[in-house]
Order: sequence, then C-alpha cells, then structure tokens
Amino acid sequence: MLWVDKYRPKTLDNITAHQHIAQNLKKLVTEQDCPHLLFYGPPGSGKKTLIMALLRQMFGPTAEKVKVENKTWKVDAGSRTLDIELTTLSSTNHVELNPSDAGFQDRYIVQEIIKEMAKNRPIDTKGKKGFKVLVLNEVDKLSREAQHSLRRTMEKYSAYCRLILCCNSSSKVTEAIRSRCLNVRINAPTEEEIVKVLELIGKKEGLQLPSGFAALIAEKSNRSLRRAILSFETCRVQQYPFTSKQVISSMDWEEYVAELASDIMKEQSPKRLFQVRGKLYELLVNCIPPEIILKRLLYELLKKLDAELKHEVCHWAAYYEHRMRLGQKAIFHIEAFVAKFMSIYKSFLIATFG
Amino acid sequence: MGKRNNLVVLSSDDEENERSLSSNRRYSKPKSRSLLTRSNPNPRGAKKARISHSRSRLSKESSNVNEIGFLYDDFDEVFNGFKVSAGKREHVSGFGGSNANGLWVDKYKPRSLEELAVHKKKVEEVKVWFEERLRSSKDEFGHYVLVITGQAGVGKSATIHVIASHLGARVCEWNTPTPVIWQEHLHNSSAGITYTSKLDEFEIFVERIRKYGLIPSSSAKEPKSSNILLIDDLPMTNGKVAFGRLKKCLHLLVRSTRIPTAILLTDYGEADSADQTARCSEELKLYLESAGACKVAFNPITNNSIKKTLSRICRLERFNVTAEQIDLIAKASGGDIRNAITSLQFCCLKPDPLRSLSLCDTTTTYLREKSDEISALDGEFSLKFGRDETLSLFHALGKFLHNKRVALMDQDEFLVRDKFSRLPMKMDAPEKVLCQAHGQARPIADFLHENVLDFLCEEAIDDAWTVASYLSDADMLLATFRGMLTRYNEAENVLQSAAASVAVRGVLFGNSHPSPSRWHAIRRPKLWQVEQSSLCNKTEIVKRRFIGYSGLTLSDLSVVTTEYTPMLKWLGYGTSGGLETRQDLMQDNKTEDNFDKMSLDDQQEIETTDDEIEDW
Repeated sequence: MLWVDKYRPKTLDNITAHQHIAQNLKKLVTEQDCPHLLFYGPPGSGKKTLIMALLRQMFGPTAEKVKVENKTWKVDAGSRTLDIELTTLSSTNHVELNPSDAGFQDRYIVQEIIKEMAKNRPIDTKGKKGFKVLVLNEVDKLSREAQHSLRRTMEKYSAYCRLILCCNSSSKVTEAIRSRCLNVRINAPTEEEIVKVLELIGKKEGLQLPSGFAALIAEKSNRSLRRAILSFETCRVQQYPFTSKQVISSMDWEEYVAELASDIMKEQSPKRLFQVRGKLYELLVNCIPPEIILKRLLYELLKKLDAELKHEVCHWAAYYEHRMRLGQKAIFHIEAFVAKFMSIYKSFLIATFG
Repeated sequence: MGKRNNLVVLSSDDEENERSLSSNRRYSKPKSRSLLTRSNPNPRGAKKARISHSRSRLSKESSNVNEIGFLYDDFDEVFNGFKVSAGKREHVSGFGGSNANGLWVDKYKPRSLEELAVHKKKVEEVKVWFEERLRSSKDEFGHYVLVITGQAGVGKSATIHVIASHLGARVCEWNTPTPVIWQEHLHNSSAGITYTSKLDEFEIFVERIRKYGLIPSSSAKEPKSSNILLIDDLPMTNGKVAFGRLKKCLHLLVRSTRIPTAILLTDYGEADSADQTARCSEELKLYLESAGACKVAFNPITNNSIKKTLSRICRLERFNVTAEQIDLIAKASGGDIRNAITSLQFCCLKPDPLRSLSLCDTTTTYLREKSDEISALDGEFSLKFGRDETLSLFHALGKFLHNKRVALMDQDEFLVRDKFSRLPMKMDAPEKVLCQAHGQARPIADFLHENVLDFLCEEAIDDAWTVASYLSDADMLLATFRGMLTRYNEAENVLQSAAASVAVRGVLFGNSHPSPSRWHAIRRPKLWQVEQSSLCNKTEIVKRRFIGYSGLTLSDLSVVTTEYTPMLKWLGYGTSGGLETRQDLMQDNKTEDNFDKMSLDDQQEIETTDDEIEDW
C-alpha cells in the first residue's frame, strides 16, 4: 500500500492539515441536518480525505463498504434513448461518480442518477427517513448545461439526498450551484504542515530524516500533500539513508515539458514548431490534461524568460487557455500559444541582440 | 393516346400561367388546378402515356431489333411483378436507330471508327488486340481478356461496339441484372423462387462461358461470325468475402476463357476515393493485370474532339448553336462525351417550342422555362447544365497550402497597410474550391493544421502564429454549441462553413511568405491517430482510477495520469502495458514515425482510423 493511503487520516478527529474545518464539519453533521457541500481547492490539499472522513462520520464504518459498479444508464433524451456507461462507487448510503466521464452527455447523467437515488431512499434505524449522499467529482469539468440541470435536480430532490461536490476551482462552477451549497475552501497545506506530516510518516516508518530533507521535499511538492508523500516514498526507494542533498526527481512528464520548453527557447521556426507539436501529441496521448500541459509549459518558459516579456507571455497563455476550454481540440490552441511565444521571443531576441 | 394529349394540355396550361403571371391574373384558377395535377401525377396515366408513346414509335419502326430493345426497356415497367433475368443481353449495333424522338446519345452513337471521339491510337490498340485474337487459331495468345479503364462517358463501350461491328463480330454483353426490390423478393419467395445474388448470377454466367463458350442462338444463321464478350458492369460486392469471390471468379475467367473478352472498369474520380467501390475497382484493376489481362486506359476525351462531335450533331440536326456555346458545353463536360451530347440536346430544346412539346416531356419544358428565366435575370449566357467540376480533397488542400499568388499586382483600389495586403490569389474563391472538393470543415481544418507548417518559409514564425491563431478560431467555431445545434441543421451548416472559411482563408492570409514551391506530400492528420490512442489510454486509465485512497473513492483522471502513474512506474508497482508504452514513447520520440507504437493495440487502431477516413 502506498504511504499516501497508509497514513491517510480515517476520521475527522485525526485530520491534521485542516483541523479547524474538520471540527466544524463534525459539528455540522452531528448537530443538525447537513446542507449540500461544495469542496474546492488545489489538488493534493485533502478534499477527498475530508469527504471520506465526513462520510464515515455520517454513516459509520458502513461507508467504507463500497462496491464498484459499471452501470449502463438508459436515458430518455427527448427523441431517442441514450445508453451511457459510467463507473460508480457506492455503499448503502452513498454513491460516488465522475459525471464528466460521460462527455457531453453529462447533463443526462446527473439528472438520471439523482432521480434514481431519490426512488430508493434508505430508512435509518430510528425509523426516520434518511437521506443518501451523492458525491460528484470534478464538478468544474461539467458542461454548463449539466450544471444547470444539476441545479434544478438539486432543488427538486433536496429532501431525498445531499450532494457533496468536489472540484479544483469554484470559478468554473455556476453561481447558482455555489449559492445552494455550503462552500468549503480547502487551502493547500503550508510547507510547514507538509514537513510535519512527512516527519510523522518518517517516524512511523522508522526512517532517519536528515535536517532539511523534509523541507526540500515540501518545497518541491508545490504545496501538494499527495505529491509530497509520493515523492517521499520514491526517494525512499531510490536512495536510503537519505542525504540532505538528494535529488528529488520530478514526474517524467514534467521533465518532458521542461525539455520541450528548452527546445522552444533554442530555435523559433515553423520546423521547430512542428517538432514541438510531435512532443505535445505524445503528452496528449498519455492523457496529460491539456490545461496542465499549458500551465506547466508556461511555468517552464517563465523560468528562463526576461522579465519584460513575462507579462505578455502570461497574457497569451491565459488567452489560449480560455480558447482551449471553448474549443474542441486542445492541440490547435496549445500550438497557437507556442507559435505566439516563438514570435514574441524571436522579435525580442532580434531587438536585443540585433 | 388520350392520356398523352392530356399531358400536352397540361404543359400548355403552364405556359398560360406564365403569361398570366406577367399580364393579368385571370388564369389564377387553372393555375391552381394544373399545379395540383402536376404535383400528384397519376402513375398509371404516365405509364400508359409512355406505353402508347412507345407503341406509336413502334408502329413507325418495323425492324425486329427495335422491338426487342423496346421490350427490354419497358419490361420492368409493364410487368412489374416479374423478375427480369436479363443476364445476357444481345446487343446489336445500331440499336435505337433513326428514331427521331430518341436521345441524341443513342441516335448519334458512333457507327464507324471515324466517328469515334476516342483517341485514334487507343482505338487502334484495342482494334489490333481484337483482330489478333479473332483471327488467330486457338492458344496462340496466353490470355483473352482486355481491361479497359477510364472515367465515365469516355466511350469505352462505344469503342468495343464499333470495333466489333467493324470486325464483323457479335458482341455479347453482360450487364448486371436489375436489382431485386424487396416487394419483388417477397413475391418471389412466396412463389417459391429462391433468391440468387447478383454475384451468384455472375459466377454462374462465368462458369457457363468457361465451359461452353457462347451458345450460338441467333448466330446459327450466320455461323461464321465470331464473338466478343463484353463485361460492362461487374456486380457490386459488399464485404471482403464477396469481393474475394468476385476476384476468384474473374481470375478463372482470365485464365481460361477462349473468347476475346473486354472488361470495362469505370474510374471514379479521386474525390470519391473514400468510397469503398472505388477502392475495390482499383484493387480489381491491379488484380486483373496480375492475372494476365491486358490493360488499356482511356483518357478523358479532349475538348477538341468533343467539339467536333457536337458540331457534327448540330449540323445533322440543323440547329444553329454558336461556337461559344459548344465550347462551353465541351468544357463543362470534363471529357465526358455522353454528358456533352445530352447537354447539347438540352441546349437545343430552346429554339423550337413545338418540337420540345412533341417530346411530351412536361418536366423538361418546365425546367427549361425556369432556367430561361434565371438566365434572363443573369443577363448573360450561362450554363445551367453539365457536370459540376469536382476536385479531390487533396487537390483543394494543395491549392490552399501552396498558396500561389499572381506575381504582379495592379494598383489596388482598397488601400490597406502593407502588413495586411496580399497579392491576388491564383484560384477561385476559397469557398468555391471548398465546395467543389466537398470539403467538410473539421477534416479540412485538421488537414491544414497537419500540413501547413511544411509550406511556411523557414524564418516565418510570425506567419506560423497567424495561421495557428486562425486555425484556433476555426476550432472554436466548430466547437461552439457542440451537438446542441443538431436539431437546427441550417445554423449548424452556417457554422460549419464559417469555420471552414476561417480555416482556409486564415491559412491563405497567414502564409504571406510561402516557401518556394517544391514537392510536399500531404500527410493524414496525426491528430486523428493521437485522438484514437489517447481515447484508448483513457479507458485504460479510468480502470486504474482506484489506485489511490485504497479504492474507497475515485481519483480524478488528471491526478492519476500526472501523479500516480509516473510514481507507480518508479516504484515498480503494477506497471501494466499502458505504462510501458509511455516509457517507450518518451525515449525514442526523436524518430518521426514511432507513432505506430503509440497505440496499445495497433490492430484495433488501424481499423478505427480507416473508418474515420471513410467518414469524410
């Protein structure tokens, strides 16, 4: 078992990074009826951990008896019926799914599943009508239509089920949904918190941590706890005992993007652009999300860039990131950004060095 | 005959209407009536008219030959329930003879070698081939099959017929029998007749030819005449098995027949190359050649010889058609003489209304008047008929990518900044080219995206950006309301054509310093392959979603791909196939063509990408 999972806090009481939030959530669940919840925050900040702990708090250990179902939903979409296949994870009291997997048919999925859940609502031990919890991941990836239909179903069936939504950025969730939920922002843990967690794990694993080593990992992790623990574990595999100067390797795709960035800096020509496209294709084939590629690429380019260009480059990156979201094929937009960068950079080089 | 009169009355009614529209509205009532009758034409009436008409034709003609021809023509129409098994049709040159009402294509069928519009050398080649085989004793030549290829209407079958009559040989022709419609099939099966596919029939036919040769039925009277077998139309095949059968059957025919046989294969334009049948015919051609058949390819007929033929017909019909008109028709036909003659006939309908009425073809007159109106509006003579010139997709792409410009520019009336001004293009409006190539926005954009960088000048990174930004615009247009507008076809179409236009014009505008012309191969978008394999990988990853959280909850896909997968690879945990491919990729990405390795399952991918090609 990976350390990330091994040392994941199981209950709200054990949570270390967001103790305050955890305590409040506990109070909320025990004292009164729980509202819809929207957890948002950067990756690796502990949203899922909190949600799992919360479910356990609500339903006890039964929440951990989950089964995976690959179910085909028959959806009546006006003139025709659609068959949408989706993997769901469910216990007696909750269902979890990624509605964005259904692609642009996501709006049907949301409606259909909530309806289905409302049909068979459980009755708890006290004879009181209970409610089911639906956990929806990656809500920010839902299409606008799906979010609208989610809003309507949320109202209609709020007596029967509670929604727990989870996403990275609340800005991509519509206002209507945000206002119907209790928004819980999960901040990325600070580096000190990460160091604390790493040291705890090191102690439990019986490892010798040289001073500054945990801090080094924390710094490299970009304030993602998951990332920190994962690289901690790889470091352990790569070299033990640790030294304080040990190289913390980054992900292979990140190295690849760095390579790509230096390619771009070296030569600016249509030919090079074509080579870059080939590399981008390889990243895309491996399902690295295009937004993340663009973000990482910008990060790598900015590292080596003259300060006066940074503003303009960032502007274009944002511009093409937005277009990517509106468009269909990401490569068109990433490539346009690369071409724009090359164009800017080349004219800058000519202006400075003649 | 009564019915026929009725039809004539109808058309005159039409004329009255047209007049009434221009002058007064007195005839508004008959107008509505005539419209009604025209919109629900009584099929029985029409048929009767046709029969009576043919009968009148027959009474004029007394030759037996024409009677047979008529029977074949109208057999289906009159006895609908019957299945016509016209497997082998006897064809006598001069069919359709001097029938004044017939189509000119039949009427002016070439009767001598001189009348053929096909290039002399090709005709000679075919003639010699037949002569040799007809004259010589058995087994002097290895093979007795000639394959003639060429696009539609270049006179392939006409050549064979003319040569046959020149050599005094009898032509036996195989035409694929008329298809069996479903009702007919039901009727047949209830009557106990089992269905045989056209391919079966063809196989039986070939078998018979091989074993017994041609059965001398009518040639009994003239025993000396020799035979030529003409296979005009190979049966359609669907699927690999049927195609294999056809191939085998043809192979046997090529190997064993002792009758000079001509197989005609019609070339389809490259525009249709996505079509299955076109690919099949290409393959068949190669296969027949490899089996030992001799091949002659007919080129499209030259403008000059089309013009010559057309003028000859005009002379014989005593119509005055201007040279420009003939020139136009010849140009529009694209080397298709059959089409040119039909166009000419249509064009000649105009000056003689009485004559066109006697053709008892109300629709034609109606159309004619319509088109007259339009051309009157245009104020100039324009061709309202003829084949549309089609371009292949690749041809169109080549035009866009090469971006040829007129070298010298006159002073432009619009003054734009140098940055935005471009030399005039050496082609029609891009939209027109797109239309001719039947270009769809998505594939066009993908193809342009894939290939445009090759055509840019080495230094022109700014151009690359301009092009890329326009392509990004096009992509955005294509994605807007994805799938939402399917119910509003019109809106969707507008969007599509706007996107195609943006992509094409963006490429044309952006590429302001085209690289010097040299030969570039146009590649198929790699993007398609990438999409396929990334989809494949994605389903693979979705299965691995339970990696984290001890399977208690689902991880985000992005987290799985960006964090868990690479980490697990390092840790040496469960490296499944997908991860290994990834490693391969990262290492040998320098080579161009390692994309084949990219997919998890090559076989599957090839199939799916093939499908995609067929789609457009």
